[in-house]
Order: sequence, then C-alpha cells, then structure tokens
Amino acid sequence: MGYVAVTASEEVIERAEDLFEKQRVDGDGEQVTVSQTDEQFGRIVGQATSEGGLYAPRLAALAVKQAQGDTAEAAFLLRAYRSTLERWDESVPADPADMVASRRVSPAYKDVPGGQILGATKDYTQRLLDFDLLDDDGEDPTESWDLDPADPPELRNVVSVLREEGLLHDPDDGPDEPVDTTREPVTMPAERSAVLQELARGETGAVTALGYSSLRGYGQVHPTLGEVRTGELPVQIEHPYTGEDATVAHAEVTECEAVVPVFAKRDDPQFAFGYGLCFGRNERKAIGMSVLDAGIQLDGEEPAENAEFVLDVVDGIDSFGFIEHLKLPHYVTFQSTLDRIRSIRERKMTEGAADAAESDVAEASADD
Amino acid sequence: MTDTERAVTTLESDSIDDAVAELADDGLSGYNFAYLDEHTKREVRRAILKGIAIPGHQVPYASRPMPLARGWGTGGIQASLSLLGPDDTFKVIDQGADESVNAANIRRLADRTADVDTTSDTTNADVIQTRHRIPEEVMGDDQILVLQVPITDPLRKVDGSDAANRRRHAHKNYGRMWVHLYENVVEWGEIKISSRYPTMVAGRYLMDPSPIPRWDVPKLDDADNLFVFAAGREARIYAVPPHTEVEPLAFEDESFQVERFPDQSCDACGSDDTFLTEVETDDGRRVYSCNDTSFCAKRQDDPAIPKDHHRDASGVDWGPGTPDSEDGSTAPSGGDGQ
Repeated sequence: MGYVAVTASEEVIERAEDLFEKQRVDGDGEQVTVSQTDEQFGRIVGQATSEGGLYAPRLAALAVKQAQGDTAEAAFLLRAYRSTLERWDESVPADPADMVASRRVSPAYKDVPGGQILGATKDYTQRLLDFDLLDDDGEDPTESWDLDPADPPELRNVVSVLREEGLLHDPDDGPDEPVDTTREPVTMPAERSAVLQELARGETGAVTALGYSSLRGYGQVHPTLGEVRTGELPVQIEHPYTGEDATVAHAEVTECEAVVPVFAKRDDPQFAFGYGLCFGRNERKAIGMSVLDAGIQLDGEEPAENAEFVLDVVDGIDSFGFIEHLKLPHYVTFQSTLDRIRSIRERKMTEGAADAAESDVAEASADD
Repeated sequence: MTDTERAVTTLESDSIDDAVAELADDGLSGYNFAYLDEHTKREVRRAILKGIAIPGHQVPYASRPMPLARGWGTGGIQASLSLLGPDDTFKVIDQGADESVNAANIRRLADRTADVDTTSDTTNADVIQTRHRIPEEVMGDDQILVLQVPITDPLRKVDGSDAANRRRHAHKNYGRMWVHLYENVVEWGEIKISSRYPTMVAGRYLMDPSPIPRWDVPKLDDADNLFVFAAGREARIYAVPPHTEVEPLAFEDESFQVERFPDQSCDACGSDDTFLTEVETDDGRRVYSCNDTSFCAKRQDDPAIPKDHHRDASGVDWGPGTPDSEDGSTAPSGGDGQ
C-alpha cells in the first residue's frame, strides 16, 4: 500500500528538503554568491521583485538562489516574507515623469522631445550563442567609451502631448485612495487601482500570454506604444519632522504607455489608454500589462477584456500553487469518483441488457 | 488601518530585554505567536463570526500569503492559527490520514509557530484541520473542524464567473444548479457529482462543502460542532454553525446517495460502517481499508467501539453507519446510501 502508507514524519520532509538543497551544491563549480546573482541575473531578480510585490533586490537575489532559479518559487518566498513585515509608512505617490530613464523609446513618433534613447537592450542583437562567454573574462565593452557625465535629460512624457490635445481618454481611476489588494480581497467589479496592482504583481508569462491573446485576435486591443521606459524611480516619503518630501530610495522600474485606436466615446472620439508599470527591467511584462489594462477598460467579451478572468488567472503564486497541488493525494475524492462511474456503468449495462431483451425495463429504470 | 487599531501584546516583564526574551520564547523566533500578526488573526476571526452569523454565505477576507503554497491548505491554516490558543490541542488530517506529508507539514508549522500540543486522536483535539474528510468519530460542541477549501462556490460548476454567482446567491437563484442536476439524471440516469456535492444550508445558501465525499455530507446536518470552511487562494471563509439544517440537493424521485462499498470491510480492522478507500496490492489483490486512520487504529484494538464511544449519549446521528442516521443504513452493509 505504498502511496497510502507514505509516512510523513518530519524527518521525511526534512530529508526531501536536504535532497533539494543537494541539487544546488552537487556540481563541481563554486557556489554563486547572492551578489553575483543580483548583479549577473538581474532579469530573474527583477522578475522575482515584481511578481513578489516586494522591492528588495538583494532579498530577491537570495530568493532566486534559494529557489535554484525558479522565479515563481522565488517570488513566493518574497511574498511570504513580505506578509510578515510591519508597515511603517506609505510613500508619497511617485510620478513616473521623475524617473531617471536609462532607456526610452517612443514607437508612436519618429522623434520625441528628449529624443529616443535606445539604452541597454538586446532588441537588435543577433541571437547567436556567444561562445566567448564559455571563458568569460568579465571585460566591460564600454570601458573605452568617452562620455560626458552630463545630467540625464528631462524627458517629456510623450503621451502628455496627446492628452493636452484632448485625444486621449482618461480612464476612471475610482476613489482617490487606491485599493490595496494585499489587504482587501478583490471583488468584482474591481477598481482600476486593484486591476493595475494585480497586473503589476502578475506572472510575467501569464501577462505576456494574455496580452498576446488580444493581439492574436481574441480581443480588440492592438496598441501603439506612446513610450516604453526603464530607469530609476525615486521613492519619497514625507519627512516626519519637516513635512517635506524626502527621497529615501530608488526603484528600478519599467513603464509602458499604450495608445489604443478604439474610440472610447462616440460623441467625442478619443483614443483608449493602457498603462503598464512593474519592478525591474521587464519590458514584455509592462507592455503586456498595458494591453490588458486597456482591454479590461473595454469590458468586452474576449478573455483578455474580462477583468474577472484576467485577475483570476494572472497571479503566479495562485496558479503555481493550485496547479502543483494536484500532486497531493486525492484518493478520497477519487474513491468517490470511482463510485459514481461504476454505478453509472452498472446502470447503463443493465439498461443495455434490458434493451437487447426488448423488454419494458428501460422505461421503468428511468424512474429509479 | 490606523495606529489605534494596532494589536497590543501585554507583557509581564519589567525590562525591555526581558520582554524581548519573553516574546522570543513564544513559538518561532522572529515571528508572532501562531505566525500571523494579531490584527490579521482578528480579521480572520471576524470573517468566521460573520460566516457563523450567515450560515453557508461566503465571506471575503484578506487572505495572507503563507509560507505554504496556495492550494495546499493556506486558508485552513490561517483559520486554524487564528482560532488556536496556547492551551489548545491541534489535529491535522489530509485525505483522512494524520501521517500524510502535507498534514505533517501543516502540523509542523503550527507546532513551530504556535507551540500548541498536537494529537492524532479526534476525541482529544480542540481544533481539527482537515483536507476533504470529516472524521468518523462524532465531534462535540467543544470542537471546531476547519475544512480546507479549493473551490468556494458550488455554482462554479455551472458558471465560472464569481460576480454572476454572487448575484445568484443574493437572489437565492439556484435554477441553473437544479437544471444541471436534472440534466445529469437525463443523461446518466443519476447524479454524477462525486465530491463537492452542492448542499443547501439553513434553507438559504447553496454551499460547496469542499471536496469531502458524499459520505460525509450528512454529518454536517444538525451537528454539535462548528464547521469552518476556509479558502486561502480564493480568499473566502464560510461556516456551518452547530445544529444547522444542512441538506444535499436531490429530487423527490432521485434521492441523494452516499458512496457504496458493497460487501466490503476494512482489511485492517474489519469495519464495514466507515468510508473505505481501495488499493491494489503488489500481488494484484484489491483491498479496502478505513480512510480515517486514527479511528481505524482504535478499531484494530477494539473492533466493537461505536463512533460515539466517547460521548455520554449513544446512538448519535453522524452520517452513514450511525444508528439514527436517515441517510446511511444501520445494518453492517457499509451504508448503501438508500
């Protein structure tokens, strides 16, 4: 009776944990440090901070190391830790226009105030395996660059140009105080702030896939991007003594603003608007989020335009937990299911035999 | 939440160092007693109280991320940890077994963070957390059964939208479920729902009793104990208070049936009045054994003890195979459900 009799003393669980840990240290190489993880696997660390909903890159790097690179697991570790932390204060609402952008592209215009800043991107690299990295000497290819340490330019928000012209529909943001979905359960219809928070914490693959579904034809939203930016966003709190806003940290974020040629109002046609923002460098998530934000405002029939559907499936911690719970024993429910199918089969066979005998039993059995 | 609402822990110590030491000794160091902060536990208890006040109604609450995966009992453990006090005894079962890996893991969390006593004996426990079974032994009015819930709404079978289903509950509009059951009968000759059987609570709310087998559904009716249903991922809590009328949906001419184990008894203790599960052995035999491992162990010592052996009264109604049950037969047939 192997499976039923799985005895699960704590020792068994601890041994399973030990075996998992062994997989990390079993190779010939040196153990990667948390600093190395933070510095060299920045995308994974960024994904963990974003899906974990906790901006703590070093803890995220620790989580990535502990989870052996599984981003869903790393995000989960961060969320569980986050829920035990006391909340000291809330920041002043951050204005993304204050972002120190290291990259900004505006697909909507050929040129924009402040210019297109390609920045660090692999968008145009040819996807060839770089065998030089097999023997990586850590050389910085930009070392010999001769650059002015000028202040970063003030970047005017591209979408604000459209907004000033009255071409852009401003979504209904609901009450001034945003909903916090980590403190209040999400109920439908959800405020836009709740939708944006859930999307910002959504699983990258899920946000990408659901956003793509809209482009693929299961939805109306196929946006033009006003801009995509990555950079450092100052986080400010109100100083407890002076009352002035004081910058206490910077968070690396990716932002996307999408203009959607679905005219929001019949009498005053305007573009619909979609917004995406997430921690870390993660352009596909920010873009996917902007598609979903715009789609949900349309409140259409398609999956990516149905807030309830999107919010029900977009969270990685939820989907990962429930998908993997199928590994748990289910023999009670399965016994119950066996009972049903056997009972129905017996009945069908009895009926079949009765039909073959051309008797009236079939009619009678329908009344059982 | 305002500062005045913040929970206050009263300490007996004179100095700050002593106070910190006192706190540190209480369960897992660095964490509050029973892991969750007091404000969260109070919020969960409020949701439970609201659930008790409106039997069968799903109460939304702010489910916290727990150090267990969602879908693995995070709702149940939040309810349990909110209800447990330092002097309580806690039992955890998963699919009827105390020794299952997941039950052991949940018990370990409660043991580490709340430092409560744990037991595998149903009759000794104050709070029992369970995944998909109600124990065979009759529970009393001083006990709480916390059921882990994967899917909170019985109407999810007929409509995926919670927003639409909340409206149906508000209007007591269960027509779609009745049609679903009727179509079952037309297509299959009987209702083919195995577990998660839709159940009417106090004549008002249709409730998903969690994936307990149909065998356990009659135990919910007019019980002495409180049942708390808690879902972590779906952030809902609901309850069946003691002595509430709970009735599985059925037709006049198509009655509710529990699982049948014709001519079978437990391979280990010989019981033929308990929920059995079947196993294929290595030598190709199919044997049945009691699913409730704790009660099976007692029956192995004394095959004659009834399910209410620990109660003053005898003949307590506790589902199939108990003397006064309307649903199960009293004969040692394993309860054919008619």
